[in-house]
Amino acid sequence: MADLLGKDYAPPDIYGKVTGRAKYAEDFRRDGMLFCRLLKSPMPHCRVRGVDATAALAMDGVVAILRADEVPEQAGPANNILTDEPHFVGEPILAVAAVTETIAQDAIDAIVLDLEPLPFCVDPLESLRPGGPNARTDGNTVVSGEVQERKWTEEDFAAAGEGQLPMGEPGTEWSYGDIDAGFAEASIILDETFVTAGTSHHSMEPRTAMAYWENGKCYLHASTQSQSFVHPGIAAYIGIEPEDLVYIAEYCGGGFGSKGGPYPLLSIPAHMSRKVQKPVLMRISRSEEYFLGSARPGFQGRIKMGFRDDGRITAIDVYIVQENGPNQGGGDMNAAASAISIVYTPLNMRYRGMSVLTNTPPRGAQRGPGQNQMATAVEPLLDKAAKQLGLDQVAIRHINAPTHESLYGSNRSGITSAYMREALEQGAERFGWEERRARSGERNGSKVRGVGVGQAFHSAGASGFDGLVVLTPEGKLNIHSGVGNLGTYSYSTTSRVAAEVLKCDWENCEIVRGDSSRGLPWTLGQFGSNTSFTMTRTNFAAANDAVRKLKEIAARRLGGSASDYDIGNETVFARGNPGRRLTYAQAAQAAIEIGGEYSGHEVPDDINALTRRAVAGLAGTGLIGVARDNLPQTGMVPALAAGFIEIELDMETGGIEILDYLGVADCGTVLHPQGLSTQIKGGGVMGFGMAISERHVYDRHWGLPAAVGFYQAKPLSYLDVPSEMDWHAVDEPDPNNPVGSKGIGEPVMGCSAAALLCAISDALGGHYFNRIPVMADMIINVASERSQSHGPLQVNTQ
Amino acid sequence: MVGFVKSVRGGDGNDSPKLAPDVPPAAKRPQSVSAETSRYLFAVVRSRYTAYHASSASDGSRDVSEMDSSDSPGTTVAFATTHSSWSRRDFIKGVIASGVSVSGMSYFGAGCTTPLPAQTGGVERLLSLTVNGQVRRVDVLPGETLAMTLRYKLGLTGTKLGCDRGECGACTVLIDDVNYYSCSTLTHRVRDREITTVEGLESPDGTLHPVQQAFVDELGPQCGFCTSGQVMSAVALLRANPNPTRQEAREAMAGNLCRCGAYDHYLNGVMRAVSEA
Amino acid sequence: MMKDMMSGFELYQPADVDDAIQLIDRYGNRGWKLAGGYDSLDWFKNRGKGPEAVIDLEGLDALKGIRETTDGVEIGALTTLTEVERSPLLRDRYGLLADAARRVASPQIRNAGTLGGNLSQDTRCWYYRYGVDCYRAGGNTCYAAAPEAMNREHALFGASRCVAVTPSDTAPALVALDAEMVVRNARGERVIPAADFFMEPSVDIQRMTVLDPDDLLTAIRLPASWAGADFYFEKVADRKSWDFALVSVAAAFRTSGAQIDEASIVCGAVQCIPRRLHDVEVLISGRTRNEETAALAGAEAIRGAEPLDYNHFKIPLMENLVKRAVRG
Repeated sequence: MADLLGKDYAPPDIYGKVTGRAKYAEDFRRDGMLFCRLLKSPMPHCRVRGVDATAALAMDGVVAILRADEVPEQAGPANNILTDEPHFVGEPILAVAAVTETIAQDAIDAIVLDLEPLPFCVDPLESLRPGGPNARTDGNTVVSGEVQERKWTEEDFAAAGEGQLPMGEPGTEWSYGDIDAGFAEASIILDETFVTAGTSHHSMEPRTAMAYWENGKCYLHASTQSQSFVHPGIAAYIGIEPEDLVYIAEYCGGGFGSKGGPYPLLSIPAHMSRKVQKPVLMRISRSEEYFLGSARPGFQGRIKMGFRDDGRITAIDVYIVQENGPNQGGGDMNAAASAISIVYTPLNMRYRGMSVLTNTPPRGAQRGPGQNQMATAVEPLLDKAAKQLGLDQVAIRHINAPTHESLYGSNRSGITSAYMREALEQGAERFGWEERRARSGERNGSKVRGVGVGQAFHSAGASGFDGLVVLTPEGKLNIHSGVGNLGTYSYSTTSRVAAEVLKCDWENCEIVRGDSSRGLPWTLGQFGSNTSFTMTRTNFAAANDAVRKLKEIAARRLGGSASDYDIGNETVFARGNPGRRLTYAQAAQAAIEIGGEYSGHEVPDDINALTRRAVAGLAGTGLIGVARDNLPQTGMVPALAAGFIEIELDMETGGIEILDYLGVADCGTVLHPQGLSTQIKGGGVMGFGMAISERHVYDRHWGLPAAVGFYQAKPLSYLDVPSEMDWHAVDEPDPNNPVGSKGIGEPVMGCSAAALLCAISDALGGHYFNRIPVMADMIINVASERSQSHGPLQVNTQ
Repeated sequence: MVGFVKSVRGGDGNDSPKLAPDVPPAAKRPQSVSAETSRYLFAVVRSRYTAYHASSASDGSRDVSEMDSSDSPGTTVAFATTHSSWSRRDFIKGVIASGVSVSGMSYFGAGCTTPLPAQTGGVERLLSLTVNGQVRRVDVLPGETLAMTLRYKLGLTGTKLGCDRGECGACTVLIDDVNYYSCSTLTHRVRDREITTVEGLESPDGTLHPVQQAFVDELGPQCGFCTSGQVMSAVALLRANPNPTRQEAREAMAGNLCRCGAYDHYLNGVMRAVSEA
Repeated sequence: MMKDMMSGFELYQPADVDDAIQLIDRYGNRGWKLAGGYDSLDWFKNRGKGPEAVIDLEGLDALKGIRETTDGVEIGALTTLTEVERSPLLRDRYGLLADAARRVASPQIRNAGTLGGNLSQDTRCWYYRYGVDCYRAGGNTCYAAAPEAMNREHALFGASRCVAVTPSDTAPALVALDAEMVVRNARGERVIPAADFFMEPSVDIQRMTVLDPDDLLTAIRLPASWAGADFYFEKVADRKSWDFALVSVAAAFRTSGAQIDEASIVCGAVQCIPRRLHDVEVLISGRTRNEETAALAGAEAIRGAEPLDYNHFKIPLMENLVKRAVRG
């Protein structure tokens, strides 16, 4: 074997990043390129009754205005491209193209809108009240893709009790076991209301896009995490067939879920370019990224948990009201409930959820969508229970942790592997948990120590996608990757599986990617912690297809049967007679000559149309290995992570110093240690921000967002996080993956957020905020025994 | 189709704007009543504010009385509701009922803007910039930032715009070896200075700068969008202080955000560059 | 709402202070003085400000540098925050100011940002920055004090139609040091005590300082009176870099043994101007610098605080910071 897996290496795209040669969407130029800017809604909900653009169009250098009725209308509550009924502040109403951006903005300033304000809402509970405002004219919730109106009764609200979440009729629910019996069996029961903020993604690269048309095809440069997966959707937004789109996304400057799938905004320059017959660049600004980018859905929730004396959870009854933005939004609440079922394996469980529309930015997946909110809500409560039961924080997690036999979600489906107990054990050992726990509560002047442990989960793998490799007559292995480049290097590391199977020198391999015209297979997108599992399988499948073809070609050319041959040193040779051999270069040349499936002129029936087109473009260039991943998958693939933290909290200033952090991953076999390290630590940093700093604030009266710049929204920087962090992996193979791998990107964030929140509560002697983010003001209020400024269920305050 | 299109002046030889035929004639265009409606909106707020600060609201009261006399008849019905127990829903219904529209531009008051002056009175627009050791002649607008000049005039797109507000550091460049946010530096300011961008760090033979190599070795970048700026701040640090402690490095890098959270790996890279330089 | 593209303006880059004064005089309130420029360009890009002419002060070398005078130190208004932070002279004798400068934003901003610019910067009330037509923007209301407003960062004291706070880290230090501002215009030069330099909204709601449009802040003088005193500076913010104070404290003490002879204590981010705590200073003069005195000082500091809906945490925070300053 090439022995590539489990080793550190320099991924090919890293050189472009350190030299500045890496080209992101805003780095492309075309002759005659125009600039396009957006006129965005100043109101949270309104109807555009008229647009007077006379003065704008009269300006020198203004070329065109694009209106909502010129772009494909999106059905129901889908995110719009442009709209005449904006549902949030900053939703694009129209676009202006001009020879400079300044002129485009001047034109926008000169456009007079006739707007009719409509009712709006930035708090789900307000919308659920009888007579409460709806975020959309046709309702306040989305059920099966359709907008409906749901209201709870006055009795529902009255029954909740002070500061507790009312629980009216849910939009969705499921259960297993018998929760009443479960609670009856419990020694202690917690019943807690919580709020999690719906924070922005803060990707460093705003969602800029540039488009032009040539020979009937649209060329689009944009910022997406995924490549092939977004292709059909983008084509649909532009209103063309997928084969008429050339999509270039070699680099993505951060997405964190917000650029995982296709999004409508990136089609605006394509539409404008078609209209003006010139290339169009649409730069998106930082404030626009906050206005119209994306955000994680927020939760207002209530959870009732029953514990036995030994800490085992007998029952969980959870209700989540999801703040979902104005459109289709995310499925976070359902994912959150499923996460509970696997992270805490409650013996009995019920979930009820109600997703409510608000006039805030469109919501969508953000790193650990649902699972991470849940981790921040539940983990501190485990500590609360542990304290009451006299148990260690690690112990109460250990007894409830999933094993290989645990079942997942409402379907009670099986899982492929779970090493959470090992993660907790090894993490506690490596972190020196016992010793640090003994220091908990120690005072040093105004500072007090706190320790915490947190856990998180995300499903981490899928199957059934396509792999594609080409052995060229020059003897190179081209590994075609359609997954995208989110920045984790997993596109590259998973490609190394193909090199490993084909026993190729890595220096002799090229990863072909980033541009749909280069022949890229259909795969899942780069999101959901799935790449490591999914793409190792597709590359394994395609490489094995190439191995089979190598052997068959050798048998044709050199005699005998395919089973007589083996591969090594980039040759295919007869076992027992290594001199009878073809180099890969010779085999590739032979494949071209033989044709058929060997040269890509015939393809398997079960591959996707997009892969089929990719192969058609490559046919005759070498030996084509192409296959759908038909390897068995026997269950949900859990990525699990645990975080351990020690902090010093200043009771006088609310300041938090993170002294040490250790993240531990159950991600199967480790393929790229350095890559895993940076995921664990980077996820850790993002989790810290989720726990204590990242803000989503709205003025309820005007529906205005307060956090539209980095300094207002507050992602963390160097001085806010430990200078050095530690990581560890359980490193046990997942049986459903040919190289033992599972994903990990998402839970490594949730576990750090949870651990930090637990440590804050620990330092405060067991005060539980039941809310994120926990900011300095909240800590100061607790330390000085003052009430909090926000109500217990209030959202968008912090 | 309601859209508008016209030719680019001088672009295709046709200098006269041609409006699409479906543009509504002026008489039929919606009448903007922005002045009245924006006053109306703010009258609402003022009156609420007055009530809230009843004890010390002499200014607020005066404003409201002024509004009463100048407000248009079309809004008086809705306005009356503001004196009673007012809520947002009432207000919106009131607006809808009275048929008042609001100008998008004046919803929260437009900032003052001035048109582009016919000519620039101060600086000479054509200037020489020394970038990465090369002198480049370039036509620069008075308000142009260095990031824009580098990216859009000189083709140096390694310098990234993450926020264009001097917050994120993706645009960091060196000016006489000191790190600055190029998005917030006027190009006219750096005429006589040595500008170094990420493109200017490699040796002529393509050898990476020690910081770049160390960032590769330590897997510093994730998505890579902040990386150019991280590299430049690290280089600035090492030029000023070739032997920093990790804490000094951390403080020197604190103006460069990384949403991927790769701070630990970047710092490892800086310290590796220190030890290998 | 932010606009993201600057409007055009004329740019002047005088190399001589007299030329600069002339230009400033010529353009008056149609002109804009550009120092470090980071906040100015933010305003221009948002189109919240649209001057006809920008007078770039960067070339005024006469206004840069730190020098000893017969009675203290004079700092040119265009001296960068990095220079202020690193100056051996300031670190040795006016460490309070160096410490405050060190907590400003980020290294890149301190490399460009000037002491004069940091002092004169506009408030960060998010409504005002968003571009609403509030009192401060020339309108007729305050959004931040309205019943449902989000005002976590706003004022505890001195609200008068506007509840915004001073965002400057160096301003409280300079007020505490009894600094003087040297201001020039076409008619001459005047010297303004730091305590009188900042503008209360009750006097002029649209300005943060007493500087008129035709004024140029040329220097900041630090009198010898506080040189080498015991200093305390602390800024509490949500992030440790690139953030504005929730509350800050800058204090100077003259002591004889454990006894406080004289104190100067100023808080930032609790009022529209740096809040000098004269009553606290009087109260603790002559007392022993200990926990008990610190507690007295803290309690006195917050007397009269009038919190808004989301900022009452600033009361204990301010109390604690004053205690910490006095405690030493």
